[in-house]
Amino acid sequence: MGSFQARLRAFWMRLSIRGRRQDDFDAELESHLAMHIEDGTRAGLSPEEARRQALIRLGGAEQTRQMMRERGTMPWIEELLQDARFGLRMMMRNRSFSVVAILTLAIGIGASATVFTWINAVLLQPLGGVADPSRVITLESVTPGGDMVPNSYPDFIDFRDDLKLFDGIALTRPNAFTIGMEDHAERVWGELVSGNFFSVLGVKAEAGRVFLSAEFADAPGKFPIVVISDRYWRSHFGANPSIVGKTLRVNQHELTIVGVAAPEFHGSLPVLGYDLWVPYMEQSVLNGVPEWMLRNRQNRNMLGIARLKQGVTIDQARTELQGLAKRMALAHADVSEGMSATVLPLWKSPFGAQGQLVGPLRILGAVCILVLLIVCANVANLQLARATVRESEFCARLALGARRMRIVRQVLTETLMLTLAGAVLGVAATPWLGQALHYLRPPGMALPTMMDTRPNFAVLGFATALCIFAAVAAGLAPALQVGRLNLSSRMSGGGRSGATGSRNRVRKALVACEVALALVALVGAALFARSFQSTLRIDPGFDPNHVLLNQFYLNTNGYSLQQRKEFCLRLAERMSAAPGVTGVGYSDGVPLGFEPSWWEDLRIEGYSPQPAENMKIFRNVISPGYLPLMHIPILEGRNFTEQDNESDKAPLVMIVNQAFVRRFFAGRDPVGKTVHGWGNWFRIVGVAKDSKYHYLSESTPPYFYVPFRQVYREDMNLGFYVRSQGDPGSVLSTLRAQVKSIDPNVTVYDPVALKEFMGASLYPQKVAASLMAVLGGLAVLLAAVGLYSVMAYWVAQRTQEIGVRMALGAQPRDVLRMVVWQGLSLAGGGMVAGAALAFAFSRTVSTLSFTGGAMGTSVSLMGSSATDPLIYLAAAVFLCILSAAAAYLPARRAASIDPMKALRTE
Amino acid sequence: MGGKTDVWQGTLALMILKTLQMMGPQHGYGLARRIEQTSGDLLELNYGTLYPALLKLEQEGYVRSRWGSSENNRKAKFYELTKAGEKQVRKAAAEWEQTTDILARFLAPNAEA
Repeated sequence: MGSFQARLRAFWMRLSIRGRRQDDFDAELESHLAMHIEDGTRAGLSPEEARRQALIRLGGAEQTRQMMRERGTMPWIEELLQDARFGLRMMMRNRSFSVVAILTLAIGIGASATVFTWINAVLLQPLGGVADPSRVITLESVTPGGDMVPNSYPDFIDFRDDLKLFDGIALTRPNAFTIGMEDHAERVWGELVSGNFFSVLGVKAEAGRVFLSAEFADAPGKFPIVVISDRYWRSHFGANPSIVGKTLRVNQHELTIVGVAAPEFHGSLPVLGYDLWVPYMEQSVLNGVPEWMLRNRQNRNMLGIARLKQGVTIDQARTELQGLAKRMALAHADVSEGMSATVLPLWKSPFGAQGQLVGPLRILGAVCILVLLIVCANVANLQLARATVRESEFCARLALGARRMRIVRQVLTETLMLTLAGAVLGVAATPWLGQALHYLRPPGMALPTMMDTRPNFAVLGFATALCIFAAVAAGLAPALQVGRLNLSSRMSGGGRSGATGSRNRVRKALVACEVALALVALVGAALFARSFQSTLRIDPGFDPNHVLLNQFYLNTNGYSLQQRKEFCLRLAERMSAAPGVTGVGYSDGVPLGFEPSWWEDLRIEGYSPQPAENMKIFRNVISPGYLPLMHIPILEGRNFTEQDNESDKAPLVMIVNQAFVRRFFAGRDPVGKTVHGWGNWFRIVGVAKDSKYHYLSESTPPYFYVPFRQVYREDMNLGFYVRSQGDPGSVLSTLRAQVKSIDPNVTVYDPVALKEFMGASLYPQKVAASLMAVLGGLAVLLAAVGLYSVMAYWVAQRTQEIGVRMALGAQPRDVLRMVVWQGLSLAGGGMVAGAALAFAFSRTVSTLSFTGGAMGTSVSLMGSSATDPLIYLAAAVFLCILSAAAAYLPARRAASIDPMKALRTE
Repeated sequence: MGGKTDVWQGTLALMILKTLQMMGPQHGYGLARRIEQTSGDLLELNYGTLYPALLKLEQEGYVRSRWGSSENNRKAKFYELTKAGEKQVRKAAAEWEQTTDILARFLAPNAEA
């Protein structure tokens, strides 16, 4: 009986004081009895009998009153409020205690919630605005060697048309666009997508529409349309809905804006934010990419996104896909022999930021839990110390008839209030803490990152769970201690009861745990810092100092291939002549950069590959000035010249690295040998010294260079380098001026020192090392505070004992030694446990890696230093010193005890 | 509170509401007597349970109360039905009728056999 509304109303009435007042109940019962008695006497009963009858029928006045009281209010909530009010008073009375506890809790919970925000944004809900994201997966092609690579457009058509277990398969390729012209030109990142992109992702339009199924058609240049992001719509068009149907000048071509994507949607790659979506087949118009290239099965540069049919598992889908890929590999054996394909959950995709962030985030998550545990131990410790101070208060309450549970609940309520306050503070700080990841962003990465670091429901839920966990973890020990309070011994005993001893044991155990956890955090931080340092010391094999890098997107200026080559030549000529410039070069790929590296299927004269041997070899397309500019020596043969050009008379040439020679020519001189790629035979004219190409920590792969003028194609990038005598920034204004004088439409968007740009390849390690250092420091600090508080308390408790010792002739020095020794032995126990834990932890961590752009290769986050005994030793020594210092302060107080005073207070 | 009391509380609430609907504003004692009378004295009400039930109904917004004086000029608290209460009586009565109806169908054949 009763609707939900009625129940809610009743609940509210009972909560509020307005429920009903006690004297009101009494008056009502009084009136009831009076009326009943009156009726009784009228029926002839004596007043006494009438009263007796009335009370019987009522079922007892006091019982009724109690029933009404219980109905009138909510007893448990009332008690909770009482506890909370009392707790608040206690918190206000002990301000310093409360502030320390709340702040440490805020740090612990805030750090954990921040890392969870990142994990949530990168791994758990990577794509905003996507319908039913659990069914969205990525699709990758797999080389015969097992490496994951993007897909080609013809492969996509086969996948799309022949697979039954998918609701759809779409393609995307991130791409830079130029919007507007001349001075108003702006570089914007977007995606070239298959027509069904939005329907596969289930992204809705906020205004206008997304692509129609008619526009899914595979017709180059037929759909000059674009969908823009909500962010771009707001920043550039003031969220004006009439923009739909207007045109936007993209890469010097007019595209019609058909719609604005839903606000949560920021593209198909986690963390990154894109602003434009253009049909893939518009590339022939926008980027001047010839149609045959789009339809080339070997042109694997498209990321695949698939949506599983309802109820289909990823394994079933993979089996079907692999079956099809096998048939396709046979049907197109000339270009796809041995190729396969696979599907993966989004967060496992080797492309995009998540591959780089998964490893570091996992470790950070683990370390945050460590810090939170230390915080809990600290707060538990503080609570225990306070419980001792408040023992007489608790005993008084017990003696007055309070239930033990009530007092235990009181302690838990107080802890919960502390953690709640800490959680509120911590969560409030997460948006700021969340920005920390942006500070560590590689400077050369031009792509805007989109990470929603505002607390959302998932994060709030997580923080609430943390808060309750912390309250239980930090409150349990003190609450149990209180629950075991021995009333009689306490009331009579005065000072040293058995409970105190066991409480001290608990506190010591807690501190030992803290030290153990701090050692784990410290060792972790040191291991990361060390491996980061040693990576930094690796010689990249080229000289990135004094080199300015700028990436041009000339296709977005409507340049043809020939115009792009001419632009480069002219700019190189002019820059070489500029004062202070010592070298100029340009290339397709930038070494140690953020973008994926490309490769070519090679056949090599005199080398017969094993079946399924990976003959996809990484390459760079370079100008003659590139190798000298990078200070990469030519060991044999010659460098490229401007005569190695596109004319029919010039033979195709190639320079290979030493690893290439070792693998394919068994170390013999390769100059003069021929290699087949891009449908032609190239002659090797030189051998360049090995250098680092994708990661500083990589083992050098076979690598080759081909001349820019012979191989450069429409879909390649363009990095332009200028080496200067001094600071690379010094030639920037010259570069800008020269670029402008060649073509005012071309803009130098993000010039960066090559040295800084290389940081991109170190990004995951940098994130892991810096944040680990911060958290490790925090953990150590917290543990020191914990140790200090226990030792200070220990000294305070033993004032009399120390007084006796000193009265019996102990020197202050002895006392000092005793206390410090006590502190060290406490810390020592923790350290032994911590070392074992740290060892296990680092073993796990050293297996973690991040995946990068080079065919999804994984790179270990932490070199081989996981078991370096020096680090353990250094961390332990550092902690020992810190423990000694933490114990020294209370020890000094102990040593300065005046025995007379101490004994007098007995 | 066990299942039995719940059922009892449910029916008691309906009895209270229905009685208030028939008689208009009434104090607790009067309500109790009236319920007993209506039941043909088959029901012996524990008056103590009446007041928490009234309180609950008031909290739910089905009745409201005010102090007034009884026919014998005694100070007493009077309860009367609210608009929500009127609606609730109709609804609960319909539900109850349906329930008894269904139960009657179960019991009827047995009675004939």
